[in-house]
Amino acid sequence: MGDADITASSWRLVEVGRICLIHGGPSDGKLAAIVEIIDHKRALIDGPATDVKTAVPRQAISLANVILTPLVLEKLPRSARTGVVKAAWEQAGIEAKWQESSWAKKRAQRERRRALTDFERFKVMRLKKQARFEVRKSLAKVKASAN
Amino acid sequence: MRAQRSSALNLPLKYQLSNERTLGGPPRSLLWIGAEWIICYTSAFKSRLTEYQVIGRHLPTEANPAPKLYRMRIFAPNTVVAKSRFWYFLMKLRKVKKSNGEIVSLNVIHEKRPLKVKNFGIWIRYDSRSGTHNMYKEYREMSRTDAVEALYQDMAARHRSRFRSVHILKVVELEKTDDVKRPYIKQLLTKDLKFPLPHRVSKAAGTKIFVGKRPSTFY
Amino acid sequence: MPSTTEGTRPAPQKKTFGKSTREVPHASQKAQKWYPTDDDAQSKKVRKSIRASTPRSTLAPGAVLILLAGRFRGKRVILLKNLDQGVLLVTGPFKVNGVPLRRVNARYVIATSHKIDLSGIDQKKVEEVASEKYFAREKSDKKTGEEAFFKQGEKPEKKKPSSSRAADQKAIDKAILSTIKKEPMLISYLGSSFSLRKGDRPHEMAW
Repeated sequence: MGDADITASSWRLVEVGRICLIHGGPSDGKLAAIVEIIDHKRALIDGPATDVKTAVPRQAISLANVILTPLVLEKLPRSARTGVVKAAWEQAGIEAKWQESSWAKKRAQRERRRALTDFERFKVMRLKKQARFEVRKSLAKVKASAN
Repeated sequence: MRAQRSSALNLPLKYQLSNERTLGGPPRSLLWIGAEWIICYTSAFKSRLTEYQVIGRHLPTEANPAPKLYRMRIFAPNTVVAKSRFWYFLMKLRKVKKSNGEIVSLNVIHEKRPLKVKNFGIWIRYDSRSGTHNMYKEYREMSRTDAVEALYQDMAARHRSRFRSVHILKVVELEKTDDVKRPYIKQLLTKDLKFPLPHRVSKAAGTKIFVGKRPSTFY
Repeated sequence: MPSTTEGTRPAPQKKTFGKSTREVPHASQKAQKWYPTDDDAQSKKVRKSIRASTPRSTLAPGAVLILLAGRFRGKRVILLKNLDQGVLLVTGPFKVNGVPLRRVNARYVIATSHKIDLSGIDQKKVEEVASEKYFAREKSDKKTGEEAFFKQGEKPEKKKPSSSRAADQKAIDKAILSTIKKEPMLISYLGSSFSLRKGDRPHEMAW
């Protein structure tokens, strides 16, 4: 028998300070931090973003309506008040980190694509076609030179 | 009429609730504050129950012109049920009934800190199919009404009991973690609690009826 | 059925019965012998009135439309003018996608948010085309009788587009074409036709 290679699982955990994305409800698509775990299915969250539009009021939420992100507010005390959460939030630069992530970019792109007008949709289709043509062309060149 | 009675009793007018003009349902109650009726929207829509404070007494007689006032905190879906439960409990305890008594005041008790997670201990008396039992249960919720609601759901699930067969004796907030007795609440109070959410089916995957790939449930 | 006609009532007659005379009402004024078995159905009063149609706010001249019905369904065209009763005057332009000057129903059209500047257009010509007579069908001098009967076997002459119409089309499209050329991809956009693809939800799309 060979040696078993054991690596720790990299689950995202429900924990105090975990940043999560809200799925459904009035705060759909906004970020909030878990402030306290109520039980195995619910948590108290608070999203103290500076922009009023992306802020989430402090509330109990079912974990079914939440998607955990890889971001965590380190060493956030349990049941911290909004001011404390806000300070930690700003210090960790959560919003900037989130905007940089490919997840957020993909979401933003999906939103943008959804809001396109008919002419813009046509332009996207055309430009994608052109890009594809260029890629295929260079690929064919490489293939031809390889032979 | 009610205003006259209460002014005779010298109760603070601020907390007078109109029984006759209540529109029914927990989120709405008409409160007499100072000079006008205002509609109070209380508690979140999720909450089915509301906590009421009901004060009542025996009607004054020649023998006893100033009868004793009785006060109860009652969890009920609306004011009508709250008053009914008040008489139900008072009849069991004292020789007063609705026909020879009156309700002096009825008002809603709001949660003081509805955004704080608390542990509650609830003592109940419960009529099962074969007998009467006393029980003590613990809940971790944001408010007293939430805890009582969770209790009714829990009793209905575990014992098939109905609202009518459960008497709530006492609801206490357990401020010290040492006071928590039940292991199912204790386990939530461990330091640095963390757990994964294994096997999650993403909701976005459910938008299409047929897909070529099985969804990833790891996350 | 009471037969009291207002105004002209036939005069009663005076009749002598033995010694006395009496006024006898006219035969048509007599009470009827029979009642109708059914009540008379009273026709409903029409309370509708013809109102001038107001086009949708998106249907401003210069807008790019998607036609949804008819021979040119799926084509993207340019709105020239709103006519009466929800009718729109559109043009392809003909050179771009083959849609001529044409009247279409506003109901069978999706208005996109893209607008084209119509400032250089010959407004007089548009007015002329917009008039009711312009699209009226030509009355053919139908041959009847023997001559038509013998002509049945032959193929009827194909209808040719009139040269005046073609000239009008060119005159109107000229200004539009010059403005269209300025924006990249716009010509190919107008030349392409619209269709729903897999996963498209037209009620959730922005136009």
